[in-house]
Amino acid sequence: MIHGATIAGDPRSQGDTVSKLSAPPQIEFRNVIKMYGGVAAVKELSLIVCRGEFLTILGPSGSGKTTALMLLAGFISPTKGDILVGGKSVASVPSYRRDQGIVFQSYALFPHLSVRRNLEFPLEMRGVKAAERADRVANLLARVHLDNFGDRLPSQLSGGQQQRVALARALIADPPVLLLDEPLGALDRNLREQMQSEIKTLHKEFGITTVCVTHDQEEALTLSDRIIVMRGGAIEQIDTPEGLYDRPKSLFVANFLGEANLLNGVIPLPNDATPTGMLSIIRPERIRLAVPHAPTLADAHQRQQANGVVTEVIYAGALRKYNVQVGNNVLVMREHVASDQQVFRPGDQVRLDWLRSDVRLVATETNNGVE
Amino acid sequence: MRNISELGRSPLVLTLPAFSIMLVVFGVPMILLLLSSMNAPVFSFSNYEAFFSRPANIKVLIQTIEISLVSTVLCLLLGYPTAYLITSASKQLCAMLITFVMISYLTSFLARTYAWILILGDRGLINNALIELGLISAPLQLIYNRAAVYVGIVHMMLPIMVLPLISVMMGIDKSLLAAARSMGARPGAAFWRVFVPLSLPGVRSGCVLVFVLCLGFYVTPAALGGLGDAMLSTFIAAQVKASLNLGPTAASSFILLAIALVVIFLIGVDLSGSPKALSEPQRVGRGGGMSASVLPRWSFREMTVPYRRWRWLAERYKASGRDNRLKYFGMFFLIGVMFFLLFPGFVVIATSFSPGKFLEFPPSSLSLQWYASFFGNPSWYDAMMTSIEIGLVVAALSTLAGTLAAYGISRFGSGVRSALTMAVLTPITFPVIVVGIGIYLGLVKLGLIGTKTGIMLAHSIGAIGYVVVIVSATLANFDRRLEDAAKSMRANPLQTFVRVTLPLIRPGIVGGAVFAFLHSFDEVVITSLIGGLSIRTLPLKMWENMRHQLDPTIAAVASLLMLLPILWIILLYAMWWRSRELARFV
Repeated sequence: MIHGATIAGDPRSQGDTVSKLSAPPQIEFRNVIKMYGGVAAVKELSLIVCRGEFLTILGPSGSGKTTALMLLAGFISPTKGDILVGGKSVASVPSYRRDQGIVFQSYALFPHLSVRRNLEFPLEMRGVKAAERADRVANLLARVHLDNFGDRLPSQLSGGQQQRVALARALIADPPVLLLDEPLGALDRNLREQMQSEIKTLHKEFGITTVCVTHDQEEALTLSDRIIVMRGGAIEQIDTPEGLYDRPKSLFVANFLGEANLLNGVIPLPNDATPTGMLSIIRPERIRLAVPHAPTLADAHQRQQANGVVTEVIYAGALRKYNVQVGNNVLVMREHVASDQQVFRPGDQVRLDWLRSDVRLVATETNNGVE
Repeated sequence: MRNISELGRSPLVLTLPAFSIMLVVFGVPMILLLLSSMNAPVFSFSNYEAFFSRPANIKVLIQTIEISLVSTVLCLLLGYPTAYLITSASKQLCAMLITFVMISYLTSFLARTYAWILILGDRGLINNALIELGLISAPLQLIYNRAAVYVGIVHMMLPIMVLPLISVMMGIDKSLLAAARSMGARPGAAFWRVFVPLSLPGVRSGCVLVFVLCLGFYVTPAALGGLGDAMLSTFIAAQVKASLNLGPTAASSFILLAIALVVIFLIGVDLSGSPKALSEPQRVGRGGGMSASVLPRWSFREMTVPYRRWRWLAERYKASGRDNRLKYFGMFFLIGVMFFLLFPGFVVIATSFSPGKFLEFPPSSLSLQWYASFFGNPSWYDAMMTSIEIGLVVAALSTLAGTLAAYGISRFGSGVRSALTMAVLTPITFPVIVVGIGIYLGLVKLGLIGTKTGIMLAHSIGAIGYVVVIVSATLANFDRRLEDAAKSMRANPLQTFVRVTLPLIRPGIVGGAVFAFLHSFDEVVITSLIGGLSIRTLPLKMWENMRHQLDPTIAAVASLLMLLPILWIILLYAMWWRSRELARFV
C-alpha cells in the first residue's frame, strides 16, 4: 500500500519521469503518524521519493502537508512510524545532524550576515576550509546570477534576489535532499513564473531530490515530476501532473486542481449512466460551444451534447469564460479567444458538446487515501 | 537517564539562575513576611487589627490612596492630550518629543526631586524671582505642602503615563478616523467614538502603572511634603527602623500590597506582556518609584515597526482642515508640558555652576567649585566608586540571568510564558517599599545586611525583571525560523545561539544591561533599608544631603547623573539605526 510505488500515468507524458522513478528511493515515509494533542496531523503516511525526483505536496491549509515537510526536515519527530533518507532511519536524528538544504517560506536569510556570509554558513558548519568556501560561494552566486551581490545584506535585495540567495544557500553544501516550503509564496505573479523556471533549471543541473510543499496548483503542475494531493492528514492521490489533472480520483482532487463540471443530471442517456457513488465530471476547456443548429460533426458518435442558455460571459484576456445553464446545472466552460470565433452573449441559446472520452468518473468521497 | 537528559533540554533550566536568586532573596522572605504579619505559628490578625485600631494609621492609609488617586487623574489629564499631540506630530518632531519624554523618564528621580526643592524652596527659583520683581516681600510657602507633593509626583509620573499612551496611540490606524468621517462623523465624534475607545488599553496601563507606583512612592513625598503629607511607605520605612518586631511592619506592608493588587486585578493590566498584547505595555518599576514600562517595548518594537503604512493617511486626515486655533493651543500645551518635564533639569545644571555657598538661580557667575568639591571629597568619591562597583556587578549578574530566563521563557507556550513573566516582574510590580521589606528580611536570614553582596543581590532582583522585559521584547521580534534555518545547515544548538540568535538580540541584551545598571545606580529605598551604616552608595549619600544640608555639591552630582540617560539615549539610537536596516528586512 505504498503510494509511491505505483505509478499511474499516461505513457506519452512521462518520459523523464519514468527514468527517475526507476532510480533507487532517496526518501521513504513508512506509516508515519504525527499526533498533536489527540488530533492526527498526519495519518499513516507512506510514500517513496526517488533519487533526483521533484515531488510536490499539494493541499489546502490544515491538510498536513507542512507537518509532513517538518517531519522530513527533522524539526518535529513522528509519533509513530519511520522516515528513511538514503536508506537510513532519520526519525530520531535532530535536524542539525541531517544533510539537507531547506528553502523557508520567508527565506529565513540571516539579516545580520551578508549574502556571502549567509552562503558560507552551511559550509562553515560542515568544516569546509575558507579557500574552498570562497570558491563555492563564487560559483553558486554566478549560478543564481548574483555575482556582484555578495557583500550586500539581505535587506538590500529584492524579493526575487532574496529567493535566489535562499536557494543558493540551500544548495551550496551539495546536500542529497532539498526541501522547499512554499518557495514562491512571497513573490508577485510575474516574478513567480520567472522563479519557477529558475528552480526547474537548478533542479535539473543539481539533480537533487526535491520535496516541495505548496498550496499553489500552478506551481505544483509546473515544477513537479509527481504531485501528492493531501487532505485531512492523508494522501488523497499521488500522480504525475498530467495524470492528476487528467484523471482525478475524487471530486476533491478535481476541484483542487482546476475546475470540474458535474455532468450527473445533465445527460440522462442510458448508456452513459454513472455508477452509484461515482460522479461524471468534465473539465471546462474540454467542452465546445456552438449555435443550437450547427451542423453535426463527423465524430458525432463519439460525442455527447446538451442544450443550454448562456447566463454569464467573462472576458479574461486569453480566455473567455462562459456559464451555461443546462437544466438545473450551471456548466462552466472556457474558450481560448480567437479572431474567427463566434462570441455568445448572456441569453443566447447554445449547444454544448464534448468527447465522451473526456468524461471522467470520480468518487463522491474517498476513504482518505486508505485503499 | 532519558528523563534527566530531557530535563536538560527543557527551557525551564534556562530560567533556573534567575528564579533561584529571586526565590532566595525575595520570594521565600515574602512568604515568611506574610507569616510573621499573622504571628505564625499562632496565627492571628492582631497586627492587622492593631493597624486599623489607630486612627492615625487609617488617616495615612486614606491619604496614601487619595494622593495616589489625585496624582493619577492629574497625570491622565495632562498625559492624554500630550500623547495624542506627540503621536500626531510629524515624524521627526514625534521622535524628538518622545526622546524628551524618555530623557525625563530616565533621569535620576533623586536629581529631579532635588530640582523641585531648588525651584520651590524658600530661597528657590520662584520665590527669588518674585521677590526680585517686588511682587512679594517674604518667601511664599511653596514647598513642604500637598501642592508641592502633587507637582513633584506628577512630574515624576507623567512620562510613565505618556509612554504607554504613545505606544498604544501609535498603533491606532489613523485611517479609521478618516473612515469614520467618510461615514459622516464630525471630527469630534470620530475622535470620541473611534480614537478614544481604541486608546483605552493605553489609558488603563498608564493609570495602573502610575497609581501603583504612587502607592509605594517614598522619596518625593518625603522630600517635598510636609508632616501632614506622609504616605504609607514613609510610615513603613520609619516602622522598620524603629522596631525589631517585624510583625506590625509586615502587616502594613501587606495592606499596601493588597491595595496595589486589587487595583492591578480590577483594572487588569497585562503584566506578562505576551507578544500578542502589543498594545499593553507591561509594568516595570524603577527604584524608589520611577518606573516604566514601555521603554523597552516602545524602543524595540514600536519604534522599529514601520508605521509609514498609515502615515500618509494621517497626513491627509490632518490636512483636511484642523482648526487653526486648536492647532496653536495644542502647540502651546505641548511646549508647556515639555517645559514642565525638562526645565527642572536645567535648573539643576545651572545651579551646579553657581559661585556662592547659597543656591542661586540663575547663577551670577560660573564656577566649577562644586564639581571640585565633589571629586575632592573622599566621602562623595567613595560613594560614587561604590555605586559604580555595585552597578557593574548587578548589570553583569542580572544580564546573564535575565537573558537566559527570557530565552527560556520565550520557548514556553503562552500560558506558562505569561505566568513566568509575571513572576519575574513581581519585584518591579509590587510597591517598592514592600519589596524592600521582603528583601530586608531575606538578607537578614542570609546574614548579608550591610554588605556589598547583599546590596548587589537586592538590586539584581529588580534588574533581572528589566532585563527579562527588554530581552523578551527583542525576542518577540526575532524570527524563530532563523534558528530552524541554522539547524537545517548543520549548526548545533549552541552554534545556532552564538552565531544567529545572539547577534540578533544583542541590542536587547545591551539595553537590558544598561537599564540594570541605571536601576542599581539610582536605587535608594531598598538600599537604605539593607545597607546598614557601613555601605554608602551615591544615591544614599545624595538622599542624606538633600534632607540635611543643601550644599550645591549635590547639584554637581545630579548634573553628572543627568548625563547618564543622555548617554543611554545616544546608545539606544545608535543601535536603533543599526538595527533598522535589519528590521526593514523582517
